Amino acid sequence: MSANKILIVDDEEIIVKLLSMSLRSDGYETVTAHSGEQGLEVFKSELPDIVVTDIKMPGMDGLELLKKIKEIDSEKEVIIVTGHGDIDSTITALQYGASDFINKPVRDEALAIALERAKAKIAIREKLEEYTENLEIKIAEATEEIRRKSNFQRLLIKSSNDAIVAFDHDWKVVVYNPEAANMFGEAVKDVRNKMTIDDLYTPKIAKIFKNQAKEEKQQNTLPWRENIINTKDGRQIPVRYTSNVLYKKGEFVGTVSFFQDLTEIKRLEKELVQSERLAAVGQTVSGLAHYVKNILIGLKGGSYVVDVGIKKNNTDKLKTGWESIKKNIKRVGDLTQDLLTYSKQREPEFEVCMPNDIAADVIQLVEDFAGANGVLISKEFDTHIGEIVADPQTIHRSLLNLMNNAIDACMDDEDVSKKHEVKIKTYKDENNYFCFEVKDNGCGMDEDIQKQLFNPMFSSKGGKGTGLGLLVTGKLIEEHKGVIETETSQGIGSTFRIKLPLEKANAVDKV
Amino acid sequence: MSKKVLVVDDDPDVRSFVVTVLEENQYIPLVAQDGVEGLEMIEKEHPDLVILDVLMPRGSGIRLYRKLRTDENLNHIPIIMFTGIALRSFLKSQKALDEFKGGEVPKPDIYLEKPVEPEELAAAVKKKIG
Repeated sequence: MSANKILIVDDEEIIVKLLSMSLRSDGYETVTAHSGEQGLEVFKSELPDIVVTDIKMPGMDGLELLKKIKEIDSEKEVIIVTGHGDIDSTITALQYGASDFINKPVRDEALAIALERAKAKIAIREKLEEYTENLEIKIAEATEEIRRKSNFQRLLIKSSNDAIVAFDHDWKVVVYNPEAANMFGEAVKDVRNKMTIDDLYTPKIAKIFKNQAKEEKQQNTLPWRENIINTKDGRQIPVRYTSNVLYKKGEFVGTVSFFQDLTEIKRLEKELVQSERLAAVGQTVSGLAHYVKNILIGLKGGSYVVDVGIKKNNTDKLKTGWESIKKNIKRVGDLTQDLLTYSKQREPEFEVCMPNDIAADVIQLVEDFAGANGVLISKEFDTHIGEIVADPQTIHRSLLNLMNNAIDACMDDEDVSKKHEVKIKTYKDENNYFCFEVKDNGCGMDEDIQKQLFNPMFSSKGGKGTGLGLLVTGKLIEEHKGVIETETSQGIGSTFRIKLPLEKANAVDKV
Repeated sequence: MSKKVLVVDDDPDVRSFVVTVLEENQYIPLVAQDGVEGLEMIEKEHPDLVILDVLMPRGSGIRLYRKLRTDENLNHIPIIMFTGIALRSFLKSQKALDEFKGGEVPKPDIYLEKPVEPEELAAAVKKKIG
């Protein structure tokens, strides 16, 4: 809007006319009045942008008019025309808020300048008003946006499935969401703004975060890690976590960390392993049926031989038959145990044991059978091993399985000219692993067999194997956090090596 | 004069069972633990009948069977297959071998799937050699 309409008020008609003409020729629109009262009326009806009024008028004078106009619109530009040296009224006019003064007699130049000034002021004010109005809208919008965002973020943090914990630069907790309360077991009110990182986290995790903040912006975001945290109520929760270091203008202002509860995932993983194992047992069933049938054949045959022995009073027959029966009863027992071991989740039971003694026991179990089949058993024990902390069952079962396999491999060897031997060795390796090695010079394995070694239902022994032996061994060793290594060469023989971590065992010992 | 029957089986339980059945039925039992030993016994003792397991170490059951069926000096000896393998699987394997090697090896005279009752085994032996 441009200020274009001017009200001219003067009791001298000739002056009003002259001014009006002059202003019109300058492009203004003019309205006029010859008294204060009339000026006010015209002002109200015409709403001029600028008022030029004489100060001395009969009745309502210029000052009064100025006052009234200012009451109506305090922003209105009113230019006062004064006589020379009329200081008092000038001061009053100033107090009432006159925009400018022109001395009588009014010169066009002076009026033009005053009008320009007034117009400029109006323009500035209008701009300012526009800005202010915009600014208010913008601020309102921004405030709303911030509020919405902050609400959203608060909601986000609050409803997050991740535990979110943020610390300020003094490592005091400033954000601690409900999931965090859930995970750490400490109520929100007891933690936020009260606890520090050392109160909340295990020393190990606290240290990781503090170190991260110290590192000069090298590692703004920590890679995800896994750990166990201890809750207030003594639970241990497996978690996955990461953290971000927050900087403002290069200054460290805090960190925010995110924790994910892995309990459910771990449980599902375990369940999956378990169900895979059960499925494997299912697959093994056909192989097993064959094996069980063989046991049945042995039992039936044995009982027939016993019957004959009884009938004929033949001790030899009785002995032979009874041996068959006993042997097959044992096979049933072994099979049952293998099945149970394989299908059940089992934690190793760590205790102090002498691995060399266990190995010696196993040798004793298989020695007769091996000898009867022309296989020599030899041993090489590291006598420095002494006592270790491990699950003796794992060692016994694994070793027995490996020994039986080794003897079978010798008996299955086509090269009957070989002097067959199974060698069992115990030692501690450079990584502080307890190792035992079963080495045979039997038939060895081709690649096909090697690939399937730890597969369920695979047996290279026809109906004489359950396909469970190495499967069970593998599982036991895995549960013991150990490893199995295999070396084999067809026609030359095989070596199976089991390595069990000793450090782990020692750690358990201290608990 | 009693007839000689050779049992070739790697399972000692089976050997003692079959031996006892044979003795009870007035045959003279001979034993061998695998195909290689079996062939030696056959060449040395000339048994009247061979009771043969299929799956033995060194795959020698099948090898010995095919030898006994294709060797002109030996193919007169009747064979009772005595095994845990289903007949169908056994015949399939033989067919595959026939195709691979050319020619056709005759089917076994009698095929018994373990386990069998002693009477059944005795009857089978009797049927072949009296």
